[in-house]
Amino acid sequence: MARITRQTRRRWLSPFMAAAMGMLPAMVSAELESMSENELSDISGAGIGLVLEDFKFAHGTDVANGQIFKIGGIKSSDGQDVEIVVNQLYIAGAGSNYGETLSPVNLGRLVNPFTIDVVDGNDLGIGDRAVLSIAAPTKVSAMEGYDCLSTGATAGSGVCSSRPMTADFAGERPDIGLQMNITVGANQSSNLNIHAQSAVIDGSYLRLWGDSDRNQLAGEFKLNFYSPELSINSCSQDGSSCGSRIRMQDFALELALGNKFQPMFLDVDGTGNFVVEVQAIAKPAAGAIGADGLRASSDAATWDFYNDYYTNPELRSNLSIGNYSVGARDFGSARVEGMLIQYLKIQTQDLAP
Amino acid sequence: MSASICGRLPACAGFLALFLPVAAAADLSLLDDGALSDVSGQGGIYLSGDISINEMGGPIQNSYFGSCGEVGKKCGARLAYRLKQDGGWFVIDDIRGSFAFEGLTLRVRHVDSGFGGDGALFNRDVVELGLPNVVRYNDVQFKLAASSTARPTDPGFQQTDILSIQMQGDVTLEGNLLVFPTGNP
Repeated sequence: MARITRQTRRRWLSPFMAAAMGMLPAMVSAELESMSENELSDISGAGIGLVLEDFKFAHGTDVANGQIFKIGGIKSSDGQDVEIVVNQLYIAGAGSNYGETLSPVNLGRLVNPFTIDVVDGNDLGIGDRAVLSIAAPTKVSAMEGYDCLSTGATAGSGVCSSRPMTADFAGERPDIGLQMNITVGANQSSNLNIHAQSAVIDGSYLRLWGDSDRNQLAGEFKLNFYSPELSINSCSQDGSSCGSRIRMQDFALELALGNKFQPMFLDVDGTGNFVVEVQAIAKPAAGAIGADGLRASSDAATWDFYNDYYTNPELRSNLSIGNYSVGARDFGSARVEGMLIQYLKIQTQDLAP
Repeated sequence: MSASICGRLPACAGFLALFLPVAAAADLSLLDDGALSDVSGQGGIYLSGDISINEMGGPIQNSYFGSCGEVGKKCGARLAYRLKQDGGWFVIDDIRGSFAFEGLTLRVRHVDSGFGGDGALFNRDVVELGLPNVVRYNDVQFKLAASSTARPTDPGFQQTDILSIQMQGDVTLEGNLLVFPTGNP
């Protein structure tokens, strides 16, 4: 560790000197001075925080103006090429009116940013491992947080850190939208539009570490996605006429893939296909859980472990829709709560003959 | 690039001096300590770039790779990585195209206001990467695939292309990326 204390050669500031310095870098020697033990002890290894200020991203397909954004390489079951033409993809400020007017937005807060960090696995229940963590802003206490869904949320109304747009501040909740059409062979479909308003992903994270038993990359993925309105509709190719809009109001998804007991493993098999696996929870040793399933007749530590596993809400996935509507028809609310993945294995198959 | 730099006089003179050392030398004089103390280093970088990857094809010529004009050959770069001992390979294949941007800036900035009240609480320095507003993509494409071997020339090579992505034209990318250490450095 060293720092630059002073620059020695500063007497001249002529262009000649500047040019000369460029050619003779040895002359601009700055003195490095070692830091004391006390100064060093103030430095702790920490991750980096990322905040996007006044951010706006937009890309799409506009052939007349030379813009193309295509996703291809997919084949239909009868072997025809499937091409997804992305007409518009945007991340912009709230109030975009389904992507019509794009304004800047902040992503992440200075006091609670997106972070990339290597953390001690022992703190997360992943024993003796260094864990790479990529995380969205964390959730905060209900005393200081904002309601995750409401666009008029005020401090103290919920647990999300990102703030909604106000009259004088763009907030940290972007509108996100995707407009695409799918071409199968020569048949072009109409446009499919997906828009999420005032989206929040607070509390989401991806943690990666190495599993020494399987010699494989293990991971834990948590995706929280909250939006006061997630909508899907389809329009004719020129956009002149659109069908009914399917609206999912107060959409909240909390998806947990993998956890400290059941890591998620990613792999490619010998034939070049993709495999995602969420490990099964370990079985208790024979006799560790009593025949009646009660704690008194079981090994206490084992019983507590499984009791914690089955009651911990952090390990479960939830989906909740406040109101589901198509056009002017309301279908009410829908909830799927407390999904726990016991074992999951997804393996892609090549359908090409 | 010269337009933005020449807004600042000493730097502009320095810039020109590189090209016209003899002509510029006549009018130069020493700055005294008082004048020097008024000069503050304007830390910051202004970058414009044009990056191309295998636009016409890469250096490798074999049964799999070739120039972009050769039918049936891949001309893009390939990146393969494995997540399990003796497992298969994730591949980003056929990476090629070029992208150009003008006005990417890099500087250190002190934040003590704004951000809906967070700035005053934060009151620290950040590294600010000013995004270039527009990035011009020229036929940028790549494929995501899963493969049984790292190299397509290895024995037993089998590959499943999952999807390919193609981008062309102007991409809007506005704003500033602020980077800073978390915790208590």
